[in-house]
Amino acid sequence: MPFVPFAGRRRLATLVLLLSGCVVALSLQVRRPGGQTVAEGWLLDVLGLGVRSVTGLREAVGALRERVSGRERLLARNDALESQVLQLERELSILRDAERERQRLLALYSAHPLAPPASRVARMVSLVTAGPFHSALLDRGRAEGLEVAGVVVGVHGLLGRVVGTGDQTARVQLLSDRLAAVGVLLPRSGRVAVARGSGTAGISVEYVPVVADVVAGDLVVTSGTDGIYPRDLPVGTIETVRKGGTSLFLELPVRLTAKPESETTVFVFPPLAPRESGSDPTSLLPAPRSSGRGSPARRAP
Amino acid sequence: MKPLRFAAGLAGAVLGTFGLGAVSIPSSPDLFLLFVADNARGGTVYRAMATGLVAGLLEDLLRTPPRLLGLHVFTKVLLGYLLATAETRFVVEKSSWAAGLLAGAVLVESLALALLLSLFRGEPLHWGGQEAVVRALLTAAAGSALAVLVRIPWRARFAARRRRRVR
Repeated sequence: MPFVPFAGRRRLATLVLLLSGCVVALSLQVRRPGGQTVAEGWLLDVLGLGVRSVTGLREAVGALRERVSGRERLLARNDALESQVLQLERELSILRDAERERQRLLALYSAHPLAPPASRVARMVSLVTAGPFHSALLDRGRAEGLEVAGVVVGVHGLLGRVVGTGDQTARVQLLSDRLAAVGVLLPRSGRVAVARGSGTAGISVEYVPVVADVVAGDLVVTSGTDGIYPRDLPVGTIETVRKGGTSLFLELPVRLTAKPESETTVFVFPPLAPRESGSDPTSLLPAPRSSGRGSPARRAP
Repeated sequence: MKPLRFAAGLAGAVLGTFGLGAVSIPSSPDLFLLFVADNARGGTVYRAMATGLVAGLLEDLLRTPPRLLGLHVFTKVLLGYLLATAETRFVVEKSSWAAGLLAGAVLVESLALALLLSLFRGEPLHWGGQEAVVRALLTAAAGSALAVLVRIPWRARFAARRRRRVR
């Protein structure tokens, strides 16, 4: 008989295994004081576990389904609310713009209650102040009735005049432009003078004799004598009073009251009518329309 | 293992057990143990244990009250192992030795059953007493008789008788 190592142990192990299986099987069938066997208890426990698992799974599936449907519902609602919010924000933006526009217009009309009926409201959409030539761009043009030589006025005062028009735009020469000039009046002393653009940030009043009664802070308004701008429009205040050596005239830099960078909504008054008998071309009241060609206003700087 | 012989032995054990029960004999030999012992001859432990497993399972299914499946499987596997081991350690030639082994096996089984019942059912430890001894004796007698019958060269005797008839 061939020698097989550990054969006896293997047999014994098999025996122990089989006997242990029997013991386990028997122990599973033993009745407990409660009236059921261990195996029944285990079986019921396993079944209970299965039942609980199935119930839990069913509940989880239901909850998941409900959650998914709820999520879809919420997503749809969220989309609707988002679009509604966007719509409302758009409306709010429009309303805010309208309100802002209304406030500007109110400010404009309160600042210029006697604006001519043909005046137009425009927005200053672009400002070019680099270099000696200062200009701005309006979002209104010929289509809205703007004409060359129209007077551009902000809430705080005069800004310039229209020097070119397109269908939907108009170009404005600002007062600070080096080639701009405007007839002014110093109301406190009643002196009439001419103000020129400095090409930097303001204007200066010229041709005021050194003997004139001018002090810093004097108000400067349009005189209406240039035939371009109507009278009594605020221009600025005398910043300082300097005497230029042997010169017969004072150097009077003016701080403009209307800052182009802060004036977004402006009035564009129609060009002044040419001087006619019995009419005041510098009046803000409406005048009969006629061709302005050859008038002094056109020859103005 | 010859399957046919195995099946016939198993069927004989089942039918014999039920047959003896049908004639209302107060005590009867353990035919399942004889079946296991027959398969333990030659010292094949695995075969003996497998036979014990099958026989014990069948006995449990047929005889044991419910919820005690495995009771006789335990004892029969144990006895199969012990009988096969004894076959390998001792040379069992005489039928009286086989009878003694079988009687001892019946007593061991009775003791093991009592132990298991006491352990799992809480019943008082009762090894079987006189009934176990009678059963052991009956089993031993049956076993020795079977051993004698098995050792008879039946084929040679049939062949000789056939030869005598031919002459």
